[in-house]
Formats: sequence, structure tokens, C-alpha cells
Amino acid sequence: MSATTTERGRAAGRGGVRGTAATSSPARGGGKPQRNRADVKAGYAFLSPWLLGFVLLTAGPMLMSLYLAFTDYNLFRAPTFVGIDNFTALFADPRFLKSAQVTAVYVLVGVPVKLAAALAVALLLNAKHRGQGAYRSMFYAPSLIGASVSVAIVWRAMFIDDGIADQVQQFFGLPAGGWVGDPSMTMPMMILLAVWQFGAPMVIFLAGLKQIPAELHEAAAVDGAGPIRRFVSVTLPMLSPVLFFNLLLETIGAFQVFSSAFIISGGTGGPADSTLFYTFYLYLKGFTEFRMGYASAMAWVLVLVVGIITAVLFRTSRAWVHYTGDVR
Amino acid sequence: MVRRSTTTRTAVVQVTALAAASALALSACGGGQTASADAAPVATDRDIELSLVWWGDDDRAARYEEAVALFEEKHPNIDVQTQFQAWDDYWTARSTEAAGQTLPDVFQMDLAYIHQYASNNQLFDLSNQLGVNLNTDDFDQTVLASGSVNDGQYGIPTSTNTLGMMHHDDLLDELGMEPPQEGLTWDEYDAWLREVSAAGADHDPQIYGGTDYTGTLWLFIQWLVQQGKTAFADDGSPAFEKADLVAWAERTQPLRDDGVFFPVERAKQVEPLTGMQVGQAATEMTWDNMMAGYSAGAGSENLDLLPVPTGPDGSAQFWKPSMLLSSSATTQEPDAAAALIDFLVNDPEVGKIFGTSKGVPAVAAQRDAMEVDEGSIDDKIVGYEEHVADLVTEDTPLPVEGYGVVEAEFKRLGEELSYGNITPEEFADQWFQSAESNLGGA
Repeated sequence: MSATTTERGRAAGRGGVRGTAATSSPARGGGKPQRNRADVKAGYAFLSPWLLGFVLLTAGPMLMSLYLAFTDYNLFRAPTFVGIDNFTALFADPRFLKSAQVTAVYVLVGVPVKLAAALAVALLLNAKHRGQGAYRSMFYAPSLIGASVSVAIVWRAMFIDDGIADQVQQFFGLPAGGWVGDPSMTMPMMILLAVWQFGAPMVIFLAGLKQIPAELHEAAAVDGAGPIRRFVSVTLPMLSPVLFFNLLLETIGAFQVFSSAFIISGGTGGPADSTLFYTFYLYLKGFTEFRMGYASAMAWVLVLVVGIITAVLFRTSRAWVHYTGDVR
Repeated sequence: MVRRSTTTRTAVVQVTALAAASALALSACGGGQTASADAAPVATDRDIELSLVWWGDDDRAARYEEAVALFEEKHPNIDVQTQFQAWDDYWTARSTEAAGQTLPDVFQMDLAYIHQYASNNQLFDLSNQLGVNLNTDDFDQTVLASGSVNDGQYGIPTSTNTLGMMHHDDLLDELGMEPPQEGLTWDEYDAWLREVSAAGADHDPQIYGGTDYTGTLWLFIQWLVQQGKTAFADDGSPAFEKADLVAWAERTQPLRDDGVFFPVERAKQVEPLTGMQVGQAATEMTWDNMMAGYSAGAGSENLDLLPVPTGPDGSAQFWKPSMLLSSSATTQEPDAAAALIDFLVNDPEVGKIFGTSKGVPAVAAQRDAMEVDEGSIDDKIVGYEEHVADLVTEDTPLPVEGYGVVEAEFKRLGEELSYGNITPEEFADQWFQSAESNLGGA
């Protein structure tokens, strides 16, 4: 099945580039049933390693945790059913609300800034220069190592007293002092770390930029559009599907920030809960307080929230995401 | 174009699912069992494999390896597999093992957790091994009793410690200040802190009298005990009033308001070191055996110990086992496990290997075997424990289930106090909230 989809997708893509809507619109119909059935079997056969992994390692634990979310479970004693107590307790827990707030700020500020940075660098790298390949690799490198523990440790070292950031501040006569111990500065620090890892969306943006036909830009230029006008009226609309894809992935990813906060706060979510991200609080509840029921309830609230946000993004995307060759 | 967005959607669903899965890697297991076989002298006619796990650093690991090599020499048919983690990871790993019924044969236990593990049938009751493979005749009875829960002997203390006030004399000398006098009351100590912080204000780096001690639950308990009150009731719930906790947090509030303590912003940044270890706090109160680490961190031997500040009846201190050794309820080799514990707590050679690094050994034979240089940190710790032996008038406060959690919460709220985010009343309120849901078997 997957093979067919790709085939069709490719055909549709070609159609799209030529701007002929007719080739892509009847995509859902047609095809020979017999061949499809064989394809389906082969498809599932090829999928089976992934499917097995999904059922055993993902779906099973997820169902288990859904059950645990309605229980009181401390790892030692058998779970006892408590109904929706965990969920009502959540919303009366000031630290839960704090963790939701911290995460919301991180997502709302971090994701747009990161995407803007990724897009800006992608535009720079899209121009034809010598050694572009090398630059691309260099800009992508932080993303390869960004999620690792060592980078978080380095990041922490950069922002403590007398770290690089502190020295730069002092050089410019700004108030001295590291960011790590100051609850109002840890969030900017975490967001900077996220933004610095713009490589993955950048590469996708770059691929998207390459797809924009040069004719469009030429035509716009002939009509007298300047660089800004061309960016707003040609590049952005043509790039909107890619932008949408990046926005979704980065938003979902940002909700799950964990390891960098774990390292930078020394496993506490501090100072003063300023880096108490949602998944981090979940971890603390589950693995330091052993309240697995509560932690499972938190996990499912997160799944719901991420699901709702994804649905909302898909909804609104109809208004601003422009697919080439789309017929509306 | 429908297809393009479908692929995107599939990707999103996958990513969401994976995300959820990683957030939810929780597993479940239940039940428990107790080994009830009669104790017999450890077998010598077959190969036995034991697992031994502890928390600690490389230094401790090297000492354990040395001790284990000696044990294996004495019991050629026993092979001991070792493993260690840092404190936080250690308990995460143990709780996961507990859920899967795969706890190690022998592992380090702490007073903060023994109640939880024992009352959930995770630990082996060593009572029937006493006098067979495990000799506890040389133990002080109150110290040994700290390893017993509900009439079972679930842990054997390896060593003891008691609270003390460390002072860093290099820093005090530099300021021309004298160490605090022995027998100061808490208020007098606070006044002394002010003097030192004032004297150290212009020093580079700034020197403070001490670090905020409000967030240390054990110090609060010590203060409480000095007033003749008890920390925890038999059912594991707090035996003190909210007003006590408010009073405790309020009495240091002026010091926080006036910036007398080593600032919390700095403290968070130098973790896992402390103010004293980075040469900015002249005194800190903690367990006496910690002085070895403090001395290494501070790069100075010029540290010493004093008893904690006093209440109406003196300092009313108590011994606490710095750690215990426990065995899993699911161990297949209870005899060999008991023999290993016996060796680690009683053998003089082991005492020599560990010195005071785990606290002062609970058994005299190990204490006497230690090679302690005069004037060394080890010597000061042993000397301190001999000195305060008369001041130790209280039993070890009961280890209660969930203590580890409320202790961490106490520390966190202490930081919030230091940052000025909460008032002493909120400190007390929020801690009691946590105590309500975590103590007393809740």
C-alpha cells in the first residue's frame, strides 16, 4: 500500500509542478482491485517489523498507562482503581499548573523563534555560492549533537557565573552574574539552546526553497516586485506546506523537551521550578515520588493537548497553507 | 491536494504516538514474596553468584572492589557481581527493579527508603540469619534497631553519623574571625552568621557566614527534637504542628531578607558543590562524615566540626546510620547474601579499606582497624563522634514511609523561600500538602 501511495504522490507531485490540476485530482479512485490486494499483503509483510514494534513497545504500554491513569500505583503495590481522582488532583496541583505554564511559554516563544532562524539561514544557504555544501553541513551539525547530554553540560557551563555569557555581559557593562541560578533567565537560556538546534527544520526549508520554480520569481521580478515583495508573495505561499510541516513537528517536539532541562537544572527542574517542563514534572512524579498513576494521567493529558493542538493547526492550515495545484 | 497532507498527517500521528510512548514507558508488575527457608551456614560445595549494588562515586567503587576481592578470597565458590550509580539514579533503578521483582541480592539502603521497601515486602527479613551467617553482637542496640521495621531486621547499618557544624578555618582566618563557640544557641549562631557575612562583604570573592539551612529536613527535625517534640507519629504522619514549621522558616527569614546567607543563585550554579566547597561559606551544617568530601571539594584540610546549635536541653543529637545493607526478598541465596553483609559490616580489613568514607563504622573492630593519621580529616570525624557521644541523648527518629519524597520537597520549598517566592506560611502549607499525600503509607 505504501508503495502505491508513494507512486501516486510522486505522480501528483509532478502534476503539481506543471500546474495541471487535472492529473492529480482523481487520485482517490481507479486502480485494479486484485493487484491492490496483493500489494496490500506485501505492504503489510514489509511493515510487519514496524507493526510488531509498535504493538508491543508502543501500543501495549500506552494502553497500560491509560489504565494506570485511573489508578493509584506506586510500583510496589498492585494498582488500585481511583476513578478520575488523578485528573482532578492534577488541576489542584500548583506545580502541575506551573509546569504547564513553563511548557506553554517554551512552545509559544521557542518554536516561532526557532522556525524564523531556520528559515533565515535556509534563505542564506539557498543562494548560489561556492562551498554551500560545507556551510550546510556546518549549520546542520548542532542539530546532530544538540539533543545530547554533553551539549547541555556545555550550555550550562556557558551560562554560569564567569561563563562566556557572563563575561560578554561584563564586557558590555551589563549586570554580571550567571543565568543558571536566576529563575528569570533560565527560560531564555533554554529557548536559545532550542533555537541553536535549527538544523532539521532548516534542511526541510532548504528542500522546500529548491522546489520553488525559478520562473515564478522571474515573472514577479519582471512585474516589478522587489526582494521583500517576492519573499512575501512568492516564497512564503510556495513554502507554506513545508512551513506547516515544520511548525507541527517543532511544536510537538517542544512539548517533549526533557533531557536538556534535566541536565541544566541538575535533575530538579529548578531553580525555583523555572525549568519544570511538563515531561520533566511527569518524570519526577513517576520516578522520584513513584506516583505512576498520577504520572500516567499527566501523560494522557499531554497526549490530549498535543492532539487538540495538532487538530487546530490542521484546521487553520486550510486558510494559509497553499498546495501547488490545489483545486478549491 | 489530499494525498500530500495525508502523508503529513500519518507522520504526525506516528510522531505523536512515539512521543506518547516515550512519555509513557511505564510498566506494571505486582505481588511480593518472602523467602522463608530456614537459615543454614552458607554452602561451600557449589558455585554461588551474588549481586551487590551501591550508590556512590568512583572512590567508593574502588573501595568496594577491594573489599569484594577479599570476600571472594575467603569464599572461593562465591562470585560477586558489582554495580553502582549516583544517588538519584540509584533509587530510580531500584524502584524499577522492585516493580519487576529483580532487586539485587545485597544493596545499600538508606533510612529514608527502608520503610517503604520493607513494608512493601521487597526486603528479606534477616532475623533468622542472625547468629547463623550474620553476627550483630558488636552492634549498639539503638543503632541496629534503626534497621528494623515491623519487628523484622530488614537492614544492617554499616556505619553511623550525626549532624554537625563544619567550619572552614582558612576563610575565617582570612577575615580574622574566630570559629563559632561550642554550645551556641540557634539565635546566637544566627548573630554570628551576620558578623561574618558583614566582615566578608568586601572580600573577593565575597565570604558569607554560612549557607541557608532552613531547607534541610534533618536540621528541622534536630531543632524540633531539642524542644522535646517528635518528628513522626507511629502511623508515619507528621507529629508536629504547622506552627512549628512556620516558626522554623520564620526564624531565618530576617537573614534571608538581609542577604546574610550564601546566595541561592550561586548555590544553584555550583551544585553539586556547596558554598563551603567553593570557598564562600564559612560554616555549613550537615552529616559529619560528609567532611571528607567537603575537604576534598574545598581543597583544604583546615576544616573542623562542632556540635549543632543548642536548644533548651543542649544539642540533643542522635545517631543515624549513614547507610544500611539490605537483601532482596526475592534473593535465591539468602545464606550467602547474609554472609556478604556480615563480612562488610564486621571484618576489620573492610573497616581499614573504607575508613570513615561511609561514616564511622558501627562495629568497634572496624573502627579500631582504621589507620587514621593524627590531624587528618578521618581523625577529626572520629574525634568528633567520640566528643559528641555524650551529647547524643535521643533515639534515631523513626524512618517513615515516603520520607525521601517529603525530604526532597522540603529542600525544594527551602529554595523557593531563598528566592523569595513564598512566605514561611506558604512553605509550611505546601510541605504539609505534600506530607499528606506521601506520608503515612498514602
